[in-house]
Amino acid sequence: MSEDRFTQLDRMRYTKNTASSRLALLAIVFDVLFFISLYKSDVGTYYYTALIGASIIYNLVFMLATFLCSEGVKNYNANYSYVMFGLGVGQIIRIFILPMQAHQAVVANQQVMGDAQFIRMVIYLVASALCLFAGAIINLNKSRALKAHIASLQA
Amino acid sequence: MAELQLQHLDKIYDNNVQAVYDFNLDVKDGELIVLVGPSGCGKSTTLRMVAGLEDISNGHLLLDGRDITQAPAKDRDLAMVFQNYALYGHMTIYENMAFSLTLRKENPNVIHKKVLAAAEILDLTAQLNKKPAQLSGGQRQRVAMGRAIVRNPKVFLFDEPLSNLDAKLRSATRREILLLHKRLNATILYVTHDQTEALTLADRIVCMSMGHVQQIGTPLELYDRPNNIFVATFIGLPPMNMFNTVFEDGKLKGQGFEVELTQEAKALLAKWNGKPITLGVRPEDIAEGGSIPVRVTTNENLGMTTLVHGHMGKNSHVTAKFRDWASYREGDVVNVHFNKMHFFDPETTNAIRKEGN
Repeated sequence: MSEDRFTQLDRMRYTKNTASSRLALLAIVFDVLFFISLYKSDVGTYYYTALIGASIIYNLVFMLATFLCSEGVKNYNANYSYVMFGLGVGQIIRIFILPMQAHQAVVANQQVMGDAQFIRMVIYLVASALCLFAGAIINLNKSRALKAHIASLQA
Repeated sequence: MAELQLQHLDKIYDNNVQAVYDFNLDVKDGELIVLVGPSGCGKSTTLRMVAGLEDISNGHLLLDGRDITQAPAKDRDLAMVFQNYALYGHMTIYENMAFSLTLRKENPNVIHKKVLAAAEILDLTAQLNKKPAQLSGGQRQRVAMGRAIVRNPKVFLFDEPLSNLDAKLRSATRREILLLHKRLNATILYVTHDQTEALTLADRIVCMSMGHVQQIGTPLELYDRPNNIFVATFIGLPPMNMFNTVFEDGKLKGQGFEVELTQEAKALLAKWNGKPITLGVRPEDIAEGGSIPVRVTTNENLGMTTLVHGHMGKNSHVTAKFRDWASYREGDVVNVHFNKMHFFDPETTNAIRKEGN
């Protein structure tokens, strides 16, 4: 192992995993942009109102969980990577529920959600998911490397 | 490391109050200079002028021959350690120590090596992941020093760094600073009001009062050959006893007591016959046995030594420091003699010395 690589690994003993943490926070930002776009649209029927209620609750849970992950990954805790993977998959699945259903719905001969708004919301969700996946992979790699480094120091 | 020259420095505030008058000092490479004096004497102001935290009203400041009088603090290549540590509470010790280098955008690997090296010197390696609130006062002060060390500055400035520590910790940290100085061979300007710190740490001491430099010299010079009454009474604990006397018939005569002088002292005071002289005697230069009676008022046993307070003659208070344990009572009379005396001109307060000295 080169000296630079050793120092790089050794630095992790004293510095936080800010890259993963910031990516998790960025995922929250994209999620916020997503629900701002969603809630300003008039989705009309009771069916969509109920769905929006569930979406609000999920958003709250998502933001709380992602924030906890952003704090957890700071300390190279690998378990939070798995949670971030799960949250990322959740963001992808969401594309097929509310924005897609609203996009396909027609009320009184009018489209509930226009194409532009739909595409924008899909982009926000995908971006949010990508941030979570990237943060989780970075944290997983770093936590494994740090674990191996500490083991080599103790050996 | 570097040489620092302070040439004719004055500090005059906007309200025309002058805090420092004509301060001159050459700090040699690797030297530890201690600025000592009572509160308000201008020592911290001088240090802050050197650091660039106060404007210099008059004079010049040279670092390795380069004039840095007008240079902003960040460009002076000096590191200051403050009394209150000035650590960032939300950062870990590692982050605190690395912070200044991070701001300079140095290579993170280089920063890491410097921080670990400084932590090793200061025995802080095990504390690097902790926050300042989790450390003791002494450890926090070491972190503050570490933050200065990682910058590898030309000169270290210490502003009363031990004032917030208790007596035991102060003594231990003082030793650490001394070891650090020897290890790094650093040029250090150190401000304190504690003369014990000054005497134990300094290569040279600058004694200040009311914005004026009273004396610059080695600790022994200031202790043994004080320039004036201020230095004589400020350096040494307990302070030097001062007696108002008149030199007559080869003796110093005070109110109700007389002191015999050596031939050397008589020769020194030959021109002062019939004139008033302030006699200075350190408590540790007073010994039991002799012809000067002291009426004891209080007796303080300190274990290895005993401080005896009393009166000589009618009204001259005297403190004597006797070796060993002594148990005098109020009213006891002890005969003493003076092993060493200092003579001062009461008018100018300057020491009376042989011409040319």
